[in-house]
Amino acid sequence: MDDGRRGIDRVFAALGDAGRRSLVEAVATRGTATATELAAELPVTRQAVAKQLSALAHAGLLRATRAGRETRYEVTPAPLEDAVEWMVAVGAAWDERLAALRRTLATKM
Amino acid sequence: MEVEREIVVPESPDEVWEALTEPERLEEWFATEVELDARPGGEGVFRWGDGDERHAVVRELEEAERLVLDWDDGGSVAIELEPSVDGTRVRVVEASPDFAPALELRAFAWTTAAAA
Repeated sequence: MDDGRRGIDRVFAALGDAGRRSLVEAVATRGTATATELAAELPVTRQAVAKQLSALAHAGLLRATRAGRETRYEVTPAPLEDAVEWMVAVGAAWDERLAALRRTLATKM
Repeated sequence: MEVEREIVVPESPDEVWEALTEPERLEEWFATEVELDARPGGEGVFRWGDGDERHAVVRELEEAERLVLDWDDGGSVAIELEPSVDGTRVRVVEASPDFAPALELRAFAWTTAAAA
């Protein structure tokens, strides 16, 4: 019981940080990713990304696989499948809507 | 769980606010068909071309600053406007619907199984 409770605490602690949530989202969108790949697209260092990915893997949200000198991560199918699907779908919807908002504002001027 | 997005547009907060609260403007970017009574407690109906329909109630409204809608599925969306040197910063935070308790149960079952 205690192990389970600590596990939940780790899951929610890991997702309580906006930067970590966006990393889970970024990994889910790509399918799999390494710290180097993610750092190339984010305004943070590879070391910072690697540290966050490692924490997310420790919480059970990502699965880590060694690939040569790098560690490759993917989103674990449980316990977050529904949540991650929601996050990716809603994130994509807002990307489209905000692009449309930008366009409609520009044409009104 | 939340999804956050932020963009900066060159228009003023007042101009962006019109696009957030006037149904005919919302139909240009948010949904195909929009009814919205833009005042606290007011109701909104949003329809999309694929047949999807969502109902909402205005939880908070501060003109040209902040609009919060509660969806009938338990989720919510907050849109905040902030003047910036380049125009207006538009920040969106959509919070997930009711599956959060289900998520916690699943997380619990999963971590218990993993610990066993």
